[in-house]
Amino acid sequence: MKLSRDGWAGLAVLAASLVLFALTLGLKPSPLVPIGPGFYPRLVLGLAAVLAAALVILDFLKTKKPEPLPRVNYAAVVLHFAVFAAYVVALPWVGFRIATVVYIAAANALLEPPKNARGWLRVALLALIAGAVVYFAFEHYLTVLLPRGRWTDF
Amino acid sequence: MKKLIAGLVAAVLPLAATAAYPDRPVKLIVPWAAGGDTDNIFRPFAPLLQKHLGGTVVIANIGGASGTKGAKEAKDSPADGYTLYAVHDYIHSTYWTGVADVNYTDFEPICMLSSTASVLTASPKTPWHSLKDLIADAKKRPGQITVGATLGSTSHFFPALIEKTAGVKFKYVSYEGLAPRMNAILGGHVDLTDSNLTQKGKVEAGQLKFLGIATEKRNPEMKDVPTLKEQGINVVYDVNRGLMAPKGTPAAILGKLESSCQAAAKEPEFAKAMKLQGTDVRYMERKQYVSWLKKNDRLNQDLAKDLGLLKR
Amino acid sequence: MYELLGEAVANIVQLKYLVPLFLGTLAGVIGGALPGVTITMTIIVVLPFTFGLDPLQGLAAMTGVYVGGSAGGLVTAVLLGIPGTPSAIATTFDGHPMAKKGEPGRALWLGIWASFFGGLLGAIFLIGATGPLASIALEFGPWEFFSLFVLALSMVAGLVEASLLKGLIAGALGLIVTVLGADPVMGQERLTLGIPFIKGGIDFLPVLIGVFAFAQVMGEIERPGSEVAKSLGYAKSLAVSHAKVVWEILSRPFQLLWVAFIGLLIGVLPAIGGSAASMMAYDQAKKFSRRPERFGSGIPEGIIASEASNNANVGGSLVTIMAFGIPGDAVTAVMLGALTIHGIQSGPLFISQHPKIAYGIFAAYLLAHPLMVLILAVGARWMLRIVSVPKAALFPIVLVLCVVGAYALNNTMGNVYVLLAFGVLGYLMVKFGFPLAPFILGVILGDQIEINLVRSIMTDANLWLFVTRPISGLLLAASVVSLVAAMWQHRRTQKKIDAAVEADF
Repeated sequence: MKLSRDGWAGLAVLAASLVLFALTLGLKPSPLVPIGPGFYPRLVLGLAAVLAAALVILDFLKTKKPEPLPRVNYAAVVLHFAVFAAYVVALPWVGFRIATVVYIAAANALLEPPKNARGWLRVALLALIAGAVVYFAFEHYLTVLLPRGRWTDF
Repeated sequence: MKKLIAGLVAAVLPLAATAAYPDRPVKLIVPWAAGGDTDNIFRPFAPLLQKHLGGTVVIANIGGASGTKGAKEAKDSPADGYTLYAVHDYIHSTYWTGVADVNYTDFEPICMLSSTASVLTASPKTPWHSLKDLIADAKKRPGQITVGATLGSTSHFFPALIEKTAGVKFKYVSYEGLAPRMNAILGGHVDLTDSNLTQKGKVEAGQLKFLGIATEKRNPEMKDVPTLKEQGINVVYDVNRGLMAPKGTPAAILGKLESSCQAAAKEPEFAKAMKLQGTDVRYMERKQYVSWLKKNDRLNQDLAKDLGLLKR
Repeated sequence: MYELLGEAVANIVQLKYLVPLFLGTLAGVIGGALPGVTITMTIIVVLPFTFGLDPLQGLAAMTGVYVGGSAGGLVTAVLLGIPGTPSAIATTFDGHPMAKKGEPGRALWLGIWASFFGGLLGAIFLIGATGPLASIALEFGPWEFFSLFVLALSMVAGLVEASLLKGLIAGALGLIVTVLGADPVMGQERLTLGIPFIKGGIDFLPVLIGVFAFAQVMGEIERPGSEVAKSLGYAKSLAVSHAKVVWEILSRPFQLLWVAFIGLLIGVLPAIGGSAASMMAYDQAKKFSRRPERFGSGIPEGIIASEASNNANVGGSLVTIMAFGIPGDAVTAVMLGALTIHGIQSGPLFISQHPKIAYGIFAAYLLAHPLMVLILAVGARWMLRIVSVPKAALFPIVLVLCVVGAYALNNTMGNVYVLLAFGVLGYLMVKFGFPLAPFILGVILGDQIEINLVRSIMTDANLWLFVTRPISGLLLAASVVSLVAAMWQHRRTQKKIDAAVEADF
């Protein structure tokens, strides 16, 4: 008998709850509060573990086969998460302005690959204009500070 | 090569920053929720500081963990003058009671601004009409009268002092900040709390009872509130608020901040706003403030020890 | 009382007050509509501009932001499926499907008019019922708050289509997020997993932005083929018969009254906020509906419930700051700050001591609604620009705005990392069929649940009080009933589906 996605998700939640639960056992009680900082987490994690176990068991007992999921392009999703992650990691180092322009250009080019020089021009224009508008709107009109680059000081 | 450039940039950066300070908004961390008393004091102060500093000052309320979450945030911020920290006496008490490892020595004091007298406040649902009633009742039911307090902070120390002087025992419940404490006390979910004259509107409406003010003499704003002292409990307690910056902030920036702070604190507008908050303007320049802090820290250490709350 | 209101309205229509009110409403609509920019952020940005104004001018501007923001959040919720503000979360459930089915105009205007009527009902009811409601909320001690939050969570978990169990697990996961980092009572570090930026706990806003933005954006990107390159493919026009839309709302008077009442009630209770109001109202509308199974497929009731209740909620929160001096949420907290800047002590005596300002706020609140409708009527054409931008250009910009929003909360990168981490988690949750709403509610309420639990135990060690205190016991009983009802309803729809499947054979 095989588990469906419900069963696997239940197992993941169960494992995470149990690991965190074990970690709460090392917490020292607080001097001024009668119940320690571990009491409520144990309550919540215990609840999560029981619910997740129930999900696994129900999935195990289920006789009906799950419907096949629609085919999706996971490669594109992983790629976009990777590009976004790279953007987030680069932000404090190269600064908001550079990182944002590069990110918008990269993400736009991946979503709608340019076929010729005009396509690349579109990507570049979009990235520059959008980056500049966001920067000026927040930094200059809304007094929201955006990260400066540690390497570039820009 | 990259490292070299980075090094050069890092060396030039502080110089560039001092030259034009402030060239971007300054964040003032208030470590309590908006609408609490610290917030009420720094809200009218921020625009005045902004006027004299010549740059925008934005208040950021970072509440939680007896005010130490905001303190940690301020401590970990870059020491470039763009993060300031609104502090009061809790910084000593939370350190000595073991709530957090942040102490006043983690910051550069800039100036002291104000002093607010504490008032022992009771819920309208309690039967007491005076401090005497309360103490008589507390002696009959030790450990049963509930006090709403920010644990380990000034609102915990003040009732604890009364507890000790009167020889009674209270039960403490965590209500962080004045605003949630007022809700609890209006609804009668706790019996007592520490507040101040800002709440006089609620007393006039019969929603709160002031049992006694912890000053030497009665306050001219509210003459019918007796002092604790005249009711036989010799406790004088106030909460002092000031401005600090993270440790290592350049001296030039601290100097600019100090002079702006002084100018702002001297504005008649600030005095007017403080009067509405039941607070006295108590300005101290940097040097004076530093030695005051040192003294106050020892005082709090002794107090924590006396009250049995010392955890270091 | 109503004469005072009349005077106040006459006062506020002067240009002196109308201009700040209009500008505030406009800023609110725009800020609310931009994904990743919350009403809180908008109101913080507007605050400094009000320093130089007289108190009522400043408060009129902020009331405008609040009302406009609540309505503006629905624009992105409907057209993009990303709630522009947390209180528009429930609007995405039916608003976005309806827009996708080719009726973006109807979906948008249902939301706008529902906001309008919800807000007005809220205001009228509120002005009369301030006193009694205030005394009810005061009776809520930590036990009652704990039970109320538990009720809110179990109601939202029961709202789930696929499986009650998965809804409950999603809620529990949300609660787990709040136990990471620091305990809310003493700030002691716990379960930090060695990650420095969660030492102080995890802010709910980056979690919210991450979960919703990525679930939405990645959900579009994952479709095979080059669909993404095209524009959203909506009908180009938002034109719609207003009379028809208004009738669609007013022909359901009981639903409208009930959801407005829920919004108002939740608004009056401190620290719950508009997102819980709209989700609870949505759940209620579904429970009382004759066709609950169609909720989520793009039906008008869902949009009306969410939008009418969250605008009524604004009125409720306003009364809480005016009557108690206690902010109902982050937005009213900022407004409370504005009151004190102008030297006004809010509290039980506020209305009697400052009738001009108190009724001025009521009047501004009333007038902000027609202004909001006007702004959206004129501006809706530009609003459409947001969605007629090709997705390939729109998605990166939306995600950049999310990064800005997360970063600007505290000016720290930590929140941006949280955004990314929960973006991944949110996408995985959708892929594994877990609902997002209970998860988010768990994240929002987790700290409050813990604090109130600790408070009640500190006040009295007797745990039976949760059941024996009448209001608390009633609320807990209601949450059990809500779960049982959800199970029963789920079984019934399951049987129907099974029957339908067999009939096919």
